Amino acid sequence: MSSLSDNSTSSSVAEASTESYDREFLLDLYTRMVLIREFEERVKFLFLEGTMPGTIHQCQGQEAAAVGVCAAINQNDFITSTFRGHGHALAKGLGIQEMMDELFGASTGCCKGKGGSMHMGNMDKGMVPAIAIVAGGIPLAAGMGLAFKMQKTGQVAVCFFGDGAVAEGAFHEGVNMAAIWNLPVVFVCENNLYGASTRIDKVMKNTRVSDRASSYGFRGQTVDGNDVLAVFEAATRAVRECREGQGPVLLELLTYRRTGHSRRDPCHYQEKDEKKGWFEKDPIERCASALLQRGDIGREDLEAIGKNVVTEIEGSIVKAQTALQPTADDLLTDVYA
Amino acid sequence: MRSKLRMPDLSTTGEDVTIVKCLAEVGQAIKRGDSIIEIETDKAVMEVECAMSGTLVEYLAKPGEKVALGAFFAVLEVPTS
Repeated sequence: MSSLSDNSTSSSVAEASTESYDREFLLDLYTRMVLIREFEERVKFLFLEGTMPGTIHQCQGQEAAAVGVCAAINQNDFITSTFRGHGHALAKGLGIQEMMDELFGASTGCCKGKGGSMHMGNMDKGMVPAIAIVAGGIPLAAGMGLAFKMQKTGQVAVCFFGDGAVAEGAFHEGVNMAAIWNLPVVFVCENNLYGASTRIDKVMKNTRVSDRASSYGFRGQTVDGNDVLAVFEAATRAVRECREGQGPVLLELLTYRRTGHSRRDPCHYQEKDEKKGWFEKDPIERCASALLQRGDIGREDLEAIGKNVVTEIEGSIVKAQTALQPTADDLLTDVYA
Repeated sequence: MRSKLRMPDLSTTGEDVTIVKCLAEVGQAIKRGDSIIEIETDKAVMEVECAMSGTLVEYLAKPGEKVALGAFFAVLEVPTS
């Protein structure tokens, strides 16, 4: 198996410096990443206990991608997401309670309990309910970009997808359309090396996804997706270009999934050494050590963040388990066809 | 307090799963997240993480036996907080 060495080069680049950033901003980034990790871990155990039905697709290990990108956009900018969408939703500003309620199928959930894990979203917070079809969000993001451009709203559409989406026909169609019309769309490929269980070098001759951009005539960039500030900086630049009419941009964020594709996947295909190497580049631990080096953030600050997040999540579970469930009368509401 | 562990819904078609190996000893302390059994689903052999922390009292099924999804497969003594 190839080492995909040219792809890992940017991972060995030194950490983006925290010096020019405000303490509160950095703590907010850290808090959001910890929130995503703890949310996903708690949900995993709810599933294992049999308390929560269905399967789930989780994003432990990919927190910096969601948080770094969403920190670079406004509430009225829109994101599209995938079946692995809990992290994108939390990063975009959806509440813990509306998401936990949704996972329990409650009518107080962000999609009134009708979407569940794979369709988290809230239009008021700039997130189209997540699209579980691989690459399904790409043409949709191009459409949103076209609307923003024609209406001159100044908004940007950010489209999250995985490496598995790159070889889909919808990728070409959506990306090409965004390119020819210079649409304000940031295409964010979270390249975690595996489309379900298939490693990218088995399905791509050129495994550097950002190279695809130049064939469409716009800018692409590969970024260390486990360095939250590197992601934030790349996304900030991409969003600025889009707002100035120089879009679209393709960002490839190199990252790694710490869990199986879904809860039913034991993930035997991730080789031990590869796994170990990526676990050492854990985005939350890296962010924590960068913050601790500053001098104005102590270990106790980070521990307090972890504790608060856990308390909030536990509280949301208690409420979600007794929240109202939809009834038969709700069957035909919110239905368009 | 005694708590029973249910078999998580890890198969892809709702099929029963087969216990392959018990990974803990009776009387052993187990943390949430530790692997407690190895199972074979309709698709793969995998380890199952324990959903709570406690001391293993007994396994309710032996290697080779089939367990329905949602059925109890082990008993833990869980400290009351």
